[in-house]
Amino acid sequence: MSDIAHLLSRLLEEGASMQEQARATAHALRGIGEVQVGLLDKERVYTDNKVQLYHYAPKARSAGLPPLLICYAMVNRPYMLDLQPDRSLIRELLSLGVDVYLIDWGYPDGADRFIPLEEYICGYLDRCVHHILEKHSIDCINLLGICQGGTFSLCYAALKPLRVANLITMVTPVDFKTPENLLSKWVQYIDMDLLTQSGNVSGEFLNMIFLALMPFRLTQQKYVNLLHANSDRAQLENFMRMEKWIFDSPDQPARACREFVQWFFQDNRLIRGELELAATSVRLKNITCPVLNIYAAKDHLVPPSASVSLGAHISSKKYQSLQVDVGHIGIYVSGKARKTVPHAIFNWLHA
Amino acid sequence: MTANSATMGPTPAMLAAWDNYAALCQIIFESLRDPTATTASTQSLPLLGAWQDLAKMWGMGPGFAAAAPLTSEQVSARLIPALGYTREYQIVVQRMIDLGMEFQRRYAEFMQQSAEITQTALQAVQNRTTSDMNLASSPAALYESWIDSAETAYAQAAHSEKFARTLAELCNLLSSFKVERGKLVEAFARQMDLPSRAEVDSLHRQVRELTMALRNANSPGKRPPRTPRKRLKAPRQ
Repeated sequence: MSDIAHLLSRLLEEGASMQEQARATAHALRGIGEVQVGLLDKERVYTDNKVQLYHYAPKARSAGLPPLLICYAMVNRPYMLDLQPDRSLIRELLSLGVDVYLIDWGYPDGADRFIPLEEYICGYLDRCVHHILEKHSIDCINLLGICQGGTFSLCYAALKPLRVANLITMVTPVDFKTPENLLSKWVQYIDMDLLTQSGNVSGEFLNMIFLALMPFRLTQQKYVNLLHANSDRAQLENFMRMEKWIFDSPDQPARACREFVQWFFQDNRLIRGELELAATSVRLKNITCPVLNIYAAKDHLVPPSASVSLGAHISSKKYQSLQVDVGHIGIYVSGKARKTVPHAIFNWLHA
Repeated sequence: MTANSATMGPTPAMLAAWDNYAALCQIIFESLRDPTATTASTQSLPLLGAWQDLAKMWGMGPGFAAAAPLTSEQVSARLIPALGYTREYQIVVQRMIDLGMEFQRRYAEFMQQSAEITQTALQAVQNRTTSDMNLASSPAALYESWIDSAETAYAQAAHSEKFARTLAELCNLLSSFKVERGKLVEAFARQMDLPSRAEVDSLHRQVRELTMALRNANSPGKRPPRTPRKRLKAPRQ
């Protein structure tokens, strides 16, 4: 009986303490206004429909490398790479003397629903590369492709191998049909023709799918933990920046989205050598430049198995993979990744 | 509500439901006008019966899950064929009802799978608390245990083909529903002389064709040659 009384007493005590903490955090949250993201100085140097090319102001003496163009995914906003001053991959690269450009795909709307996938890769991406080549009077750039942008970059490097001096892929799916890939399993039976018949695929829909990959952690535990964490303002602002990024999801242009899912997820054409863009076959074997493939060991969106096979499909003599012990989002912002990733990229480019 | 209302066609049943709804509004209005009146509180309101009958007829039980859903064939059989000068729109509406019923059936399957996941997760939590009494004494630890168990159970189910097919079916049904809804909106826009989706799509296609034509006309092959470039760093191999 005394055991039960002790147990109850502990339960009540901890419950009261948690309630008090939750109250303090909720109070602190009320004091946080709109959070700021993407604070680094940058100049918009090229615009093409909704696509914008940014050039970041240098932060150190140039390392003398070809410019690095970052090609981010279309499904999220690229300011994740400069979320805040102490969580900024771009800032780290700038401080190492890398000349950084970034493609922002923008927020596609109904006017973009008929744009094919090849226009994004062979059109917008190619014209951004062209702009940089012209501006610097050079023949090739360094290309860093991230997530879906990594897949775009692989296609681009395969189609235009002479324009890419070095290719770096980060959390990039290559083999879309590995057993661990839950997202891929789910989309196999989705009728993409039907889904995109009524227009663009909404960002909210995509978010719902992403949250459903780990629903208990992403829709419950995260917020419970927030309430029971400390009410430190800086930490709460970090949380809110991340929250903003997660749910600031652009709609996906109908045709490009349909083609991406059908060709990559459903048909796995990239590694089967069956992908064609702009009437040209996309052969990964055409990639001969040095390739650094960075992936996250705990990635629930792009499992390591989806990335690691890249080396087997390209012709590059210099290929290296780097596993970072974080998740899909941790690769951008975690302390562990911050210590590893920017230096690994710089060293690779500098070697 | 009369006893034979469940056997009525959809229109009389719906009218009865709306009739009761109007009665409820009237009672509420009267009680607002005269708060001392006891009409609303003392009178037994037959107000939900008609809605319940209608919902039952359409296969929707109380609390969403209780009744066995109707098949789309059953629902279609209860609707009279589309007639008259609005028959094309009636067909769209009937199709939307069919899709709604099919969605309900699939959703029930999905909820069944979700219930099984919860059951598995709860069992796992129970097993953990039995082997570790400290877990039960801490709400935080218990909650962590619940999340771990739930995610494990969910991941196991979510990777199955059955789950993927159910999820895709729900998505495909909603997509079909959206397409049918679009047809009605399109017709409405035409009637109101508003820009319709088809018109806007047509303009988008034309703009795109013009853009591509302009781009091709200005392509590098048709421009004067550029100045020679210096080579910074060639691809290594």
